[in-house]
Amino acid sequence: MSWPTIKMALRLRWVSTASGGLGLIAVLIVVGALFPAVGHTIGKLNIPKGVSQLLGGADYGTITGWYRSEIGSIYGPLVIGGLAIAGAVAATAGEEEDRILGLVLAHPVERARLVAAKAIAIAVVVLAIALATWAGMVVGVAIGGGGIGLGHISAFCLQLAFFGLATGALAIALGAGTGRRSLAAGGAAGVAIVGWLINGFAPLVGALDWLKYLSPFYYYAGHDPLTGGVDVGGLVVLGVVALVLTALGMAGIERRDLRA
Amino acid sequence: MTAPAVIATSGLTKDFGSGRGLFGLDLEIFQGEVFGFLGPNGAGKSTTLRLLLDLIKPTAGSAQVLGFDTTRDSLAIRRRVGFLPGDLALYPKLTGRVVLDYFAALRGGVDRRVRDSLVERFDAAVDRPVHELSTGNRQKLGLIQAFMHEPEVLILDEPIAGLDPLVQQSFHGLLGEVSAAGRTVFLSSHTLSEVERVTHRVAILREGRVVVVDSLENLRKVAVQRLEIEFAQPMDPRDFQALPGVKDATATDRTVTVSFEGSADAVVKAAAAHEVLAIRPREEDLEDIFLRYYRAEPEK
Repeated sequence: MSWPTIKMALRLRWVSTASGGLGLIAVLIVVGALFPAVGHTIGKLNIPKGVSQLLGGADYGTITGWYRSEIGSIYGPLVIGGLAIAGAVAATAGEEEDRILGLVLAHPVERARLVAAKAIAIAVVVLAIALATWAGMVVGVAIGGGGIGLGHISAFCLQLAFFGLATGALAIALGAGTGRRSLAAGGAAGVAIVGWLINGFAPLVGALDWLKYLSPFYYYAGHDPLTGGVDVGGLVVLGVVALVLTALGMAGIERRDLRA
Repeated sequence: MTAPAVIATSGLTKDFGSGRGLFGLDLEIFQGEVFGFLGPNGAGKSTTLRLLLDLIKPTAGSAQVLGFDTTRDSLAIRRRVGFLPGDLALYPKLTGRVVLDYFAALRGGVDRRVRDSLVERFDAAVDRPVHELSTGNRQKLGLIQAFMHEPEVLILDEPIAGLDPLVQQSFHGLLGEVSAAGRTVFLSSHTLSEVERVTHRVAILREGRVVVVDSLENLRKVAVQRLEIEFAQPMDPRDFQALPGVKDATATDRTVTVSFEGSADAVVKAAAAHEVLAIRPREEDLEDIFLRYYRAEPEK
């Protein structure tokens, strides 16, 4: 393993990770603080079923539903997925297109190990964001009057972390496998967005319900960790997907020419 | 020479399609040599250097560095080689010191004294973010990272790009020391004047193929010279094209540029038949040498 590469990748990402994490903590606390004031009013809103599906049920009348919709369906995956994709793309295809990777790989480090080191750094970023989510949620829920147990908050953050790992690994696979920044960023973000839409809309159409199994959102939040706890099956799927995609990235960069 | 080549290529080919790439390169570079790889942009110089570092894979042929195959034993090669890429880029937000620390760590550490002496020698600004540095100052960092682990072989792509004359002098001195220590340098340039003081032999590359490999001394013997002759009246360049030794003659209004080999006698005497306002010799350069080889062997 290339420890210098892990350290370098983290050094390049710590500002965005820290600002993303602190921002998320702030949002989580504000969301908790707002609940007593607006939760009961918003809870009475008549939201169309399609939209409520996209928002994790849109059960704004309870603090669990409030967090599920605000954080579980939107901010959480947006921040963790966004930082994972941006970090993974910058560390692979970004460095390659910026002509830095060619010099790095003129040093005695194997390409696959270099990609593995970058994947580990992105995993650290993801875990840091998950930890920030956990801290912000613990405080936010307490300010909001309580109602979600520590175990369920931890389960949610664990599922979120695995979602981030899988999303980041997809960006690693595309970035390392192709060396194309726009393709890697667009591809990974596209899969995440389409996955979000599929997970929201597919269950509304009986014949298309099976499509939800193709969405990473299903394995992240399909079993609602805020009430159901850890979904081991979902974690296994996301974990295996993350490992396979990272391995594909490692294999992909070995076989091809560097682009710049 | 009987010693095995430090760098050897055999039919090395990288075909990018549409006639671009490198084709059938056979080259041997020996220990202690400073070998210049010359050619215009797009001739295949960087492609060759990147093939040696396994950054790109050959379409055909093979290459060895220090006896190691460039595709199978690339890691062993990269341990022993210092590389400066053309169009160098570094992490823009980090300081030179941090960047050098990283490259040193990738090699498992380097001798601090060597690194510090290179920083001092090039007067490199290592405490400023890379994005604040001029091209020349970035290039200094590139040179330091290439030399700081005292590699047996240096592969340098356009190493003088952006360096001011004083730093160029310092770099040339360093190349001399490296060569005297028995280490081998393979450097590319598109300008002969950049390398003529330091290289023992050069190869000239054109459109992916080697045109000639020889010492600079021998190349100079066959290099064409150019004279720029300004006349009082517009001239027909054909008056010069048929003269003995003349390779080419072109005219722009009243100025005729004549390229020739050997004595200038015939050209000067032909010019003297007209009113001459000025004669300006143009220093022989790479273009002249290209002219000699391209025109003489157009089929190659």
